[in-house]
Amino acid sequence: MPLDASLLVQMLLGALLGLSVYLPLRAGQLSLATPGFYAIGGYTAALLSTRFPALAGDGALYPLPSLLLELVLAALIAGALALAIGGPVLKLKGIYLAIATIALVEILRVLNLNLGFTGGATGLFAIPQPFEGPVGYLLLSLAVLALVCWLCARLERLRLGRAMEAIREDELAAACMGLDTARVKLLSFLFSALVAAVAGVISAHFLNTWNARQGSFDASITTLAFVVFGGSRTWLGPVVGGLALTALPELLRPVGDLRLVVYGLVILLGPILFPQGLITPELLRRLRWPFRQTSAEAPAP
Amino acid sequence: MDHLLQLLVNGLSSGAVYALFALGYTLVFSVLGVINFAHGAVFTLGAYFTYLLIGGAVGANGLLAGLQLPFTLPFPLALLLAGVGAAAVSLLVEAAAFRPLRRRGADPLLALISSLGAGVILVNLLQLLVGAESYAIPTSALGTLPAAVSLGGAQVRTVQLLLMAIAALVVVVLTLWLERSRGGKALQAVAEDPTTARLLGINSDRMVQLAFGVSGFLAGVAGGLVGLSVSIAGPYFGIGYGLKGLGVLVLGGLGSVPGAVLGGLIVGLAEALVPADYSGFKDAVAYAFLFAVLLLRPRGLLGRPTITKV
Repeated sequence: MPLDASLLVQMLLGALLGLSVYLPLRAGQLSLATPGFYAIGGYTAALLSTRFPALAGDGALYPLPSLLLELVLAALIAGALALAIGGPVLKLKGIYLAIATIALVEILRVLNLNLGFTGGATGLFAIPQPFEGPVGYLLLSLAVLALVCWLCARLERLRLGRAMEAIREDELAAACMGLDTARVKLLSFLFSALVAAVAGVISAHFLNTWNARQGSFDASITTLAFVVFGGSRTWLGPVVGGLALTALPELLRPVGDLRLVVYGLVILLGPILFPQGLITPELLRRLRWPFRQTSAEAPAP
Repeated sequence: MDHLLQLLVNGLSSGAVYALFALGYTLVFSVLGVINFAHGAVFTLGAYFTYLLIGGAVGANGLLAGLQLPFTLPFPLALLLAGVGAAAVSLLVEAAAFRPLRRRGADPLLALISSLGAGVILVNLLQLLVGAESYAIPTSALGTLPAAVSLGGAQVRTVQLLLMAIAALVVVVLTLWLERSRGGKALQAVAEDPTTARLLGINSDRMVQLAFGVSGFLAGVAGGLVGLSVSIAGPYFGIGYGLKGLGVLVLGGLGSVPGAVLGGLIVGLAEALVPADYSGFKDAVAYAFLFAVLLLRPRGLLGRPTITKV
């Protein structure tokens, strides 16, 4: 049975990672740091839950308040790192920013692989379970994804979201209009880090084990593929891209050994056949989605 | 002192590999402004081609299990042919992943993804065909040449000398070709402004193919040499080198030939100087350098600043 609850959880986490890449891209910043922050989230959860027995409680299941504490701490750590490096890094443009963020991901990976407390190459395992089965994870990740989607949708209407859009269209013009572009870019980078770290925390518990492979260069590019494939101009694009491309290798299992070749073919053809991604604002407008128009856009009665 | 010399040699020879890698990226980047993520896969193919051409047999896994060519070529000839084969693959990648997007004038970001797709296809096809085990090109491939020579107290493996010599040769030839020949100048013209170049009668498409062909050839040769000096650690082994080559490329400055070489040598030397106790951290050195340099010099060490017209 290919489409089970576990796969659904992975798909939802994929959608979250897609949104994490999408957020800086909304402000025109091609940051590939997502797997780095994802790894930080995962290690925070794995370390706290395995090294601090006080958090684990007495019951058979890992207490939810401890999980919440992990989420908050992971967000704080990832957020602090994002704010610390965001300033200098976001001065880089285009492909230079992309490569600097890949470098960051690789530095974090090598550190995680070699530092003692992260468990080295074997990583950390026996991460306690807060839920009895995948359904609990499903509900949790669904709730988190819904929240992030709602925030992204709100962002498209807010002043900050429009400022991000303006920078994406023309950074110089936006700066000339008096926009604090450095601040807006930093915020988008911060949001990206927070989403990735939260996904990492859930993922660490869900996978039951965490190691340095969880945040690598491959992941940088696959998460970017989520966004490019789904479409980078509306928040629904990365969600669809993340869901679809995470499910694809599993759904292709019947193809057998050829499945990763087919997966590569899809990634190759996606940008060529759909240069705007699958989901574009035009498509949504044609489908009248979302059905409820905001008061600003609704035609006068 | 001997020890230091040894480190220097080791560093320079691995730096030469990075430089060859980065030169391949830089050729394509300077013409198209895009990074070819399939470059690492082309490098891997070059290594496998070399292995097969010198008469190596495929292992027990994969569809081609047990395959062995009916002939055995001497290593230099095998290396050249592997380079040609890799160039052909590189041209295929261009036709499949780059040309359709270029025709449409699409966002360069898209080519990043489509070339990644091409790389995924190549690597997994390779795994399907020859399995995931690692292969080694025996040093006996060098024939009567000694495996290592002693140089001022340092043991220099012949393959290391070969790597350094070939990298140096490639740099000189490439620079002369780019600066002196009509073809090289046409390539630079296309890099500067494809439309104007076309108006001047330069076939832009042909020039792009040329860049991909040469870059594939360099990657293939580098792959064969690494296969000889280290080993071929399975179909994915080019990816790590590819990533480091990318770091080297940006460190030196995108689109700059001397920059690619300088970046390669710096990273190779820096890695060699990492003490053995901390060898696990070696892989981070290139990226730490890159990160620091980008913050101080956003265009890399020898990159030209671009001037944006408003």
